[in-house]
Amino acid sequence: MNSLDPRINRLSEKGQITSEEKKKSLDQLETYEVFLQKREGQPFRHEGIVHAPDEELAWIFAKEQFSRRQTCTGLWIAKTENIMVSELTENEESVYDLYEEKYCGEGNKYAIFHMLKRGKQHVYAGTVLANDESSAISCAKAQFSDEQVFNIWVVKEENLLISSEEDKDMWLTVPEKTFREAYAYKASDKIKEYKKRNA
Amino acid sequence: MYGGGTIFESHDEKNIVNEDPVKLAQFEERINRGEKIEPSDWMPALYKKQLIRMIEQHAHSEIIGALPEGTWITRAPGFRRKLALIAKVQDEVGHAQLLYSAAETLGKTREEMIDDLLSGKSKYSNIFNYPAFTWADSCFISWLVDAGAIVNQLANSRGSYGPYCRALERICAEESFHLKYGHHCVIYMATGTQKQHDMMQEAVNRWWKPLMHFFGPPDKISVHTEVLMKWKVKMASNDDMRNQFLDMYVPKILELGLTIPDPELRKDETTGRWVYGDPDWDEFYRVINGDGPCNKERLEVRKIAEERGRWVRESLKRAESKYVVPLA
Repeated sequence: MNSLDPRINRLSEKGQITSEEKKKSLDQLETYEVFLQKREGQPFRHEGIVHAPDEELAWIFAKEQFSRRQTCTGLWIAKTENIMVSELTENEESVYDLYEEKYCGEGNKYAIFHMLKRGKQHVYAGTVLANDESSAISCAKAQFSDEQVFNIWVVKEENLLISSEEDKDMWLTVPEKTFREAYAYKASDKIKEYKKRNA
Repeated sequence: MYGGGTIFESHDEKNIVNEDPVKLAQFEERINRGEKIEPSDWMPALYKKQLIRMIEQHAHSEIIGALPEGTWITRAPGFRRKLALIAKVQDEVGHAQLLYSAAETLGKTREEMIDDLLSGKSKYSNIFNYPAFTWADSCFISWLVDAGAIVNQLANSRGSYGPYCRALERICAEESFHLKYGHHCVIYMATGTQKQHDMMQEAVNRWWKPLMHFFGPPDKISVHTEVLMKWKVKMASNDDMRNQFLDMYVPKILELGLTIPDPELRKDETTGRWVYGDPDWDEFYRVINGDGPCNKERLEVRKIAEERGRWVRESLKRAESKYVVPLA
C-alpha cells in the first residue's frame, strides 16, 4: 500500500490480509445496557449499549462512551439478557393496567425503569422487593403507577453494577477539557481583521 | 458526524403490497401523529430494511471517515490542534458505536455489519475515498464535511425510528465543537500567510466536487424516495439538503477570500435555489463502485485492524455468553 499516512504504510509492511472468513457469532461480544445520572438528585436514565466480554470492561467502555464528553454523577450497567422487558402499550393505556396491584415487602430487590413517553429513554423509578420480575411489576404498580407508563424494564439489583462514591472521581476533570467545547473556538476577530486588511 | 444523504442501493417498493393493510395503516397513523417507532413495534419489512441500510452506512461512514482525519493527528500543527483532533476522531468512532447499536435493535448483528463493510457489500460516504494530502484538507473535512453531515443529521434526528433519533441527538450534542473547531482551523489558514491561504484554496478546489456528491445525486435522477419520506426514514431530499448547505456555507467560505471552483454556482433569487455546475456524477458512481483514489486503502486498514484484533477478541470470549438483541 502506498498511503499518505506513514503509519498505514508501516501497518501493511507485513503483507496483505487475505482472510475472507465471516465473523462467528459473538465475535463482537455480548451487550450491556448503560444508565447514567447526569446530576445529583436526577434519576438514572438509559443511554445506550456497549459490547463487552464482562462487567468490568463493560463499565470502562460505558464510562468512555457515555460520560467522556459530559460530566455525570453515576453510572449503572446491566447485561441485556438480565433485563426483563414488559409489553409496549400505546394511546391511553399504561403497562400497569395489564398487571394486578400487589403490596410486597419481601424477596429480592428489583430495579424498575419506566418509559414515560414513546421515543424517550427509560428512567429509573425505584426499587421494589419481590420474588420474581413479573411480580416486581405488580409491586411497582402499588408504588410508582401514578404516571402513564408505556414500557417497563425490570432488573434484579444484584445484576446491576452500580458506581460508588469513590467512582465519582472519574468525572472530576471532564469540565476542564475545554478544547472539546464550541466556545473555545472563537475567531470572528480574525475574520474582521482580514476583511479590513483586504478592503 | 459524517453521514451523507444518500442511501446507496435501490429498493423495491412493491414489497409493501405484501404487508398486512391494517397493521400498515396503524403504523402510518403513528408516524403521522409524530410518534416514534420503537424496536418491539410492528413495522413493514421495507422500513426495517431501509433503516438498517441507512444506519449501518452511517456507522461505517463514521469509522472510515475517521481515517483521513486521523492521518493528520501526528502532524497537526501544535499541541492544541492535536488535542482537539484526537478528541474529534475519538468522538467519530464513538458515533459509529452508537449507530451500530441503533441498527442492531433492528435485528442485524454487529458481526454481520462489519462483515458487509469488509466485503464491500455495504457502502459508506463516498467522500472518504479521497485522500487528505495536506493539513488544509484535514481542516476542510473538519469544517465543511462535518457541516454537510450536520445538515443531514439534524433532519434525520426528527425521523420516526426512536433508537436512531436518540443516537443522532447524542451525536449532534457532541458535534457542537467539531464544526467550530473546523471553522477555526480554516479561518486561521485562510487569513494567515499567503502560503497558508493558497494551501486552503487548493484544499477547497480538491474537495468541492466530492462535497457536492456527498448529498447524493440530484432529485431528478435519484431513486424514488417518496415512501421513505412518508415513513420519515428520509427527512429531506438530496437537493433540499444540498441547497440548505449552500445557503448556510457559501457566504462563510467567500468571506475568507476563498473561491469556489464552480463558475456556474449562483443563487437563483426568484426560486431561492442554488444552481451549480455538473460535479461529474459519473465519477461519483465510479468511486462508489470501488474505483476511487482510496477505496482500497480504507478497507485494507479496517481488515488489518480486524485481523490484528482477532486474538484479543478470541481470548475474551466466554463459552457461556449468548447474544441478545440490545433493547433500545
